[in-house]
Amino acid sequence: MSYLGIVVTSVFASNAILAYGFGSIPVHENERSGQFASVLAVVCVNAIASTFLWGIHSLVLAPIGLESLDILFFTLLVVPLFKFLSRAASFSGSKFISQVGSKADDLIIGSLVFGIALISVNSGFALSHALAASAASGFGYWLVAVLLESIRERLELSNLPRFFKGSPAMLISTGLIALAFMGIDSTFISGLAG
Amino acid sequence: MNEGGSGFVPNPILSGLIGICPLIVVSRSLAEGTIYGLGAAMCALALGALAPLVRAFITDRLHAPATLAFSAVLAIAFGFCVRIYSSAIATGLWIYLPLLAVSGLSLSTLRHGSLLDRSAPDGRSRFAVVALESLMFFLTAAFVGGAREIIGLGTLTLPTPGMEPLRLVVVNISPLRIFVSPAGGFIFLGFLVAVYRSTIRAIRRRQL
Repeated sequence: MSYLGIVVTSVFASNAILAYGFGSIPVHENERSGQFASVLAVVCVNAIASTFLWGIHSLVLAPIGLESLDILFFTLLVVPLFKFLSRAASFSGSKFISQVGSKADDLIIGSLVFGIALISVNSGFALSHALAASAASGFGYWLVAVLLESIRERLELSNLPRFFKGSPAMLISTGLIALAFMGIDSTFISGLAG
Repeated sequence: MNEGGSGFVPNPILSGLIGICPLIVVSRSLAEGTIYGLGAAMCALALGALAPLVRAFITDRLHAPATLAFSAVLAIAFGFCVRIYSSAIATGLWIYLPLLAVSGLSLSTLRHGSLLDRSAPDGRSRFAVVALESLMFFLTAAFVGGAREIIGLGTLTLPTPGMEPLRLVVVNISPLRIFVSPAGGFIFLGFLVAVYRSTIRAIRRRQL
């Protein structure tokens, strides 16, 4: 598949939250996710984490037949690295970089980063393809999070039955968005983008 | 965790939406829901049991990385056990087996790890609360998997050992196939949360 095909598939057809269930749905009021710092954090964290896991998996664990231990090496090597990087970013002096660092720190321990890294490694991609897929998956997650955030705001103002207010309405809305995203089929994308 | 000190422990999935997203994708059948729920519950229980030891022997700065590494070891060990028990279920659960290391329930236990050697406000031990939450997670995951499979495919796949799990045909058609997809999972869980809320509210009203 071409890079464009991988990117479009990762953002829409194989969306991290809607197709794989990584990350969390913004059910409660959050800090606005539509910021450049958050999109940069989510894309960078996923790209770097996937690159590291790809390296550990393909260059170290696969030759000795210990691929199933990748999650352990990920927690032992990549998580401390990110903790260090996010702490270094907070001391950088730049407000924007420290904002990116703090958002990256919130993201690192969770199913989003671990899941996307494992998917890009298990898909049999080359390094450059894995990098593109993971960065695009991060962007896809951010896109859906922003979409759900604005839906949550509108749902709060709408006249819903009492028991559906809050998380039930959000879950049903997420399901409907997932249905729409399912329409963007990966076979169609590969036919279109090569 | 404890609402109003009444001793009521809410369902972690239906009330707190803990670990809900991977569960929606994974619980397409009774077998997958049951095994995933069991794995998440066992990891959370082991982490809960380990928390006082971690606090006692490991410095504060290393609590989180050590517990996370232990969680990864547990997830890998559980993955091996599932592969031996039933390779078909292990294949169905795919990367979600190693991801048990960072399942919502494990992370919730990890975050509350520093509190686990103390008592909850109602006097119940924190570990008892973790155990109860884990049990509820397991039962809810099994229920969600079973219900979605019946509604979606009209079958019920039992978590039996061997190459292929036993599949019972409940109805001879696939009533609403969409319910076994992630989109249907989100919709199903949305309705389930609404039913849970209304039931809890009715019970509370009756108690008052």
